[in-house]
Amino acid sequence: MIANTGKNSMFMDQLAALTGPLKKAKSPDWLARLREEGLVRFRTLGIPTVKDEEWKYTNLSALAGHRYALSAKSTLSPAQRKDVLARYCGKADVNIVFVNGALDKELSNFGRIPPPRGQRLPDGRESLPAAGVEISMLRDALLKDAVALKEIWAHYDPQKDPAFVALNKALTQEGIYIHVKDKIIANQLIHILHVTQADGEAIAMFPHTVIRLGKSSEAGVLETHVGLNDENIYLADPLTDVLLEENATLHYSKAQKESLNAYHVGSTRVWQTRDSTFNGFSLVAGASITRNNLDIVVNGEGAAAFLNGLYSVYKDQHVDNHTSVDHRAPNATSNQLYKGVLNDAARAVFNGKIFVRSIAQQTNSYQLNKNLLLGKECRVDTKPQLEIFADDVKCTHGATIGQFNEDEIFYLQARGVPRKIATRLLTQGFVDDVLNRLTRDFVREQVAQLVAPSLAVLEG
Amino acid sequence: MRKEETKILNEKMIEENVLTSRDYKYGFYTDIETDRIPKGLSEETIRLISRKKNEPAWMLEWRLKAYRHWLTMKEPHWPNFKYGPIDYQGVSYYNAPKKAGQGPKSIDEVDPELRKAFEKLGIPLGEQKRLSGVAVDAVFDSVSVGTTHQAELARQGVVFCSMSEAIRRHGDLVRKYMGSVVPYSDNFFAALNAAVFSDGSFCYIPKGVKCPLELSTYFRINAAESGQFERTLIVAEEGSYVSYLEGCTAPMRDENQLHAAVVELIAMDDAQIKYSTVQNWYSGDKEGLGGIYNFVTKRGKCLGRRSKISWTQVEAGAAITWKYPSCILQGDDSVGEFYSVALTNHRMQADTGTKMIHIGKKTTSTIVSKGISTDESNNNYRGLVKIMPSADGARNFSQCDSMLVGNKCSANTFPYIEVKNSTATLEHEASTSRINAEQVFYLKSRGLDMEAAISLIINGFCKEVFNELPMEFAVEAVRLLQMKLEGSVG
Repeated sequence: MIANTGKNSMFMDQLAALTGPLKKAKSPDWLARLREEGLVRFRTLGIPTVKDEEWKYTNLSALAGHRYALSAKSTLSPAQRKDVLARYCGKADVNIVFVNGALDKELSNFGRIPPPRGQRLPDGRESLPAAGVEISMLRDALLKDAVALKEIWAHYDPQKDPAFVALNKALTQEGIYIHVKDKIIANQLIHILHVTQADGEAIAMFPHTVIRLGKSSEAGVLETHVGLNDENIYLADPLTDVLLEENATLHYSKAQKESLNAYHVGSTRVWQTRDSTFNGFSLVAGASITRNNLDIVVNGEGAAAFLNGLYSVYKDQHVDNHTSVDHRAPNATSNQLYKGVLNDAARAVFNGKIFVRSIAQQTNSYQLNKNLLLGKECRVDTKPQLEIFADDVKCTHGATIGQFNEDEIFYLQARGVPRKIATRLLTQGFVDDVLNRLTRDFVREQVAQLVAPSLAVLEG
Repeated sequence: MRKEETKILNEKMIEENVLTSRDYKYGFYTDIETDRIPKGLSEETIRLISRKKNEPAWMLEWRLKAYRHWLTMKEPHWPNFKYGPIDYQGVSYYNAPKKAGQGPKSIDEVDPELRKAFEKLGIPLGEQKRLSGVAVDAVFDSVSVGTTHQAELARQGVVFCSMSEAIRRHGDLVRKYMGSVVPYSDNFFAALNAAVFSDGSFCYIPKGVKCPLELSTYFRINAAESGQFERTLIVAEEGSYVSYLEGCTAPMRDENQLHAAVVELIAMDDAQIKYSTVQNWYSGDKEGLGGIYNFVTKRGKCLGRRSKISWTQVEAGAAITWKYPSCILQGDDSVGEFYSVALTNHRMQADTGTKMIHIGKKTTSTIVSKGISTDESNNNYRGLVKIMPSADGARNFSQCDSMLVGNKCSANTFPYIEVKNSTATLEHEASTSRINAEQVFYLKSRGLDMEAAISLIINGFCKEVFNELPMEFAVEAVRLLQMKLEGSVG
C-alpha cells in the first residue's frame, strides 16, 4: 500500500521539517493530539498511487517530486494588492483574504480593528458581518468554541480519513470558523479568498475552513483559490467542513484558478441534518493537477443536496472531481450536474458515488456528467457509481462524452459566424447551463471571470 | 410444418417441467459410474488429465506453463461480494462418466443413463427428437458425452465437436487460436482453467458459411466435490455467421462447487458470432447454503473489419456469478454488443457486466443490462468502455437499469468509462428504481393478481434483452424468470 520510493519518499521525508514549527506553537492538548493523529495517519497511507482504486486515474508523482516550504510571506506588490482588491473583493461582502496561506489583514475587512458596526472602512467597504454571523480565526475558535468544533468533527472517524484530509489536519496553520446562528439570514456574501504568489521556492498551504449553520439559518459562502503567476509551483491542500443544522440553507461555491503549475488537492465534507439544503457549486479552471473531493452525508429526512460543477481546462491540465452523496435518511433528494470542457491535451476524471442506505426509502437522486472534447489529445475517464440498498427509490445517473454536432456549427457558419467564434459561442452555451444555476450575481460574475481565460483559448 | 410442431412440443415440455417443480427443477443427481481422479492439484494431476485425454505434447506443455503461472497468482477479492476460501486441493479435477470413454462414435451410442439424465433436463440427445434446428454438444462433469448433428454440419465444412476431439483432430486450429484471446496469464481463474480444463466445445465456421443450425452446448455438473473447468473456442472465418447457445445446471448440494470456464471467440472480416447463455446453475438455498461459484472469463475478439460479436446472457442461477463477457474491437468498423438480464434471489450475489475495448476506427458498441434483485441478494453491474487512441470515431451507448424488489436486497452500478480519443462519442445512462406502483395497480384493476402483474412488468423490463435470444431460449428465459420470482414478490 505504501510505496515510499523515489519521489514519494522525498515528500514524506520533509514532513518532519514541516511539522516542526507547528509543534512549538501553543495549542491545546487535544489539538496537538489531532495533529499527531493526522500525521501518523498520513504516514501510514503515504501519497496515494494509481494502484489505489480512488486514485486510479490521477498520478501524483509530479506533486511528490517537489520540496515545499510552509507559508511563505506575502510578496504582493502594491499594484497587485490593488488589483486583487478590485477584481475579487466585492464591496458589500465579507472578505477574508489569505495570501500565501497567511491571513492578510489589510485586504480582509475582517480581523481588522473594526469601526463601529455599520460604518464603512476607509476603502469604502462594509465592516464586520451583521449580527448573528460569527467569523473567527480557527486558532481562536479552537480555544473559544472547542465544544462546537469537536461536535462537527465527531461525525468523522479520523482512522478513516483519506490521505490529504489527514495531511491537512497535521499541518493546518490558519483557518476560518464561520458560525451563523439560529434563524439568521446572512445577506452578505462571505468570501474566503486564497491568493498565492510564490515566485521563490515552492510552498504548501493547508487552510481549514469550518462552516456551521444554525437552525433555519441561511448563508452564502464563496471560497476562491487564485494563483497570480502561472509559472509558480505550489501545493494547496484545503479542507472545508460544513455542518447544516435543521432547515438551514447554505449556498457554497468553490472556485479555483490556481497557477498552471500548481497542485490543488481539496476536500469538502458536508453533514446535513433534517430539512437542510446544501446548494454547492465547484469550478476548476486552474492548476496542473486538481483533485476535489466533495463528500456529502444526507443524514436527515427531507434534506436536499445540489451539486453543480464546471471544469474547463486546456494545455496538459488534469482535473479530477470525486463526489460522494451518502443517503442515510428517507425522503431526501440529491441532484448533480458536472460539465466539462477539455481542450488541447487536458485530462478530466469524474467519479460520482451515490449510496442509498436501506433506511433511506423514497430517495430521489440524480447525477449527470457531460464532457465536451475539443482538443485533439484530451482524455476523459468517468465512473458514475450507484450503490443502492433501499427499494423505494428513484436513482439515475448518466454520462456523455462527445463533440459538437457539426450541424450546429454549420448553422452558425451559414449565418456568417467564423468557425472559431461558432465553437466559442456553443461552448459558452454549454457552460452557461451550469453557470446560470448560480443565483447570486456576484458569484456568477466571479466564476465567469475565472473561467474566461480557458475559454478564450478557443478563439486563439 | 414439422419445425413448428417440434417447437410446440418443446414449449410443452418446458412447461411440464416448470409445473413439476416450483423451486429448482434441475436439482436431481444422476447416480452413474464415473472415472474419477483423486482430489488435489499438482503437476502430476495435470499430467494425468492430459494423459487420460491422449493429448499431444504441446497441450501438456501449455497446461503446465499455465499451472506454474497460476501458482504465482493470488485469488482475487476485488469484486463486490464475499466468498469463503476455496480449497483448491479439495476438488477432484476430472470426473468422467465411465462409459463415455473416448467419446462415442455416434450419438446413438451414448450411455442410456446419460441420455436419460439429459432428457430430464429437456435436452434430448437423439437426433430424431432434436430441438428444432439446434445441434447440441452435451458436457457432463468433465467430458463431452456426445455431439449431435455432426455429419450434417460437416457437409458445410463446419466443425462442431468437443474440445478433446478438436485437440486430437484439429490440432493446428486449436493450437493457433487457443489462448489468443484469453491468455493463460489473464487472471487467476483463467490460469486455473488453462491448467486443468477437461473439455468444452470447439466450433470452426469456414469462410462464407452461414451455419445452418444453432450450435449449443449444455453443461451439467453432476459429481460431488468436483468442479467444472471447460473451454469453448469459436472461430468464425471471413464472412461467416454462427449462433451459439449455452445452458447449464447442477444438482442441489450444500457445498459450493466451482465452475471456472473460459470462452474465446474470434471473428474475422465480416464474420458474425452471436453467443447466448441461459445460466441456471444451482444457486443455493434460502439461507445461502451451497450453490455454484460461477467464475467465468468470456472474451471475443473482432479481429476482422466489419466483424460483429454479440453476447446475450440471462443469468438466473449460481450462488456467485462473476463474469464479464467482453469484446475487443480490433478491426475497423467492428461491432460489439452486450445484452444481459441478471436476476438474483435468496442470497445470490452477482458481479457481472462487460468490457468493450475499442481499438479499430469507427468501432461501435452497445450495452444493455437489466438487473433484478429480490430477497437478500446483491446484484452488481460492472462495466468498462475503453476507447484507445487509435479508435477514431468510436461510438458507444450503454444503458443499465436495475430493479429492486424488497428492501433487503441491493443493486450497484460500477461503470468505468475511459476515453483516450477525442473523436469518440459515448452515452451512458443508468437507473435504479422499484416496480412502478401505478403500473401494478393498473394491471391489478384489470384482474391480474400481484404475481402475474409483477411478472408481466418484469418481462417488459427485460424485453430488449429477450428479443436478442433465439426463439427456444427466449421462451425458456421467460419461464425461468417467472419461476425464480415465484414467492419472492407480492
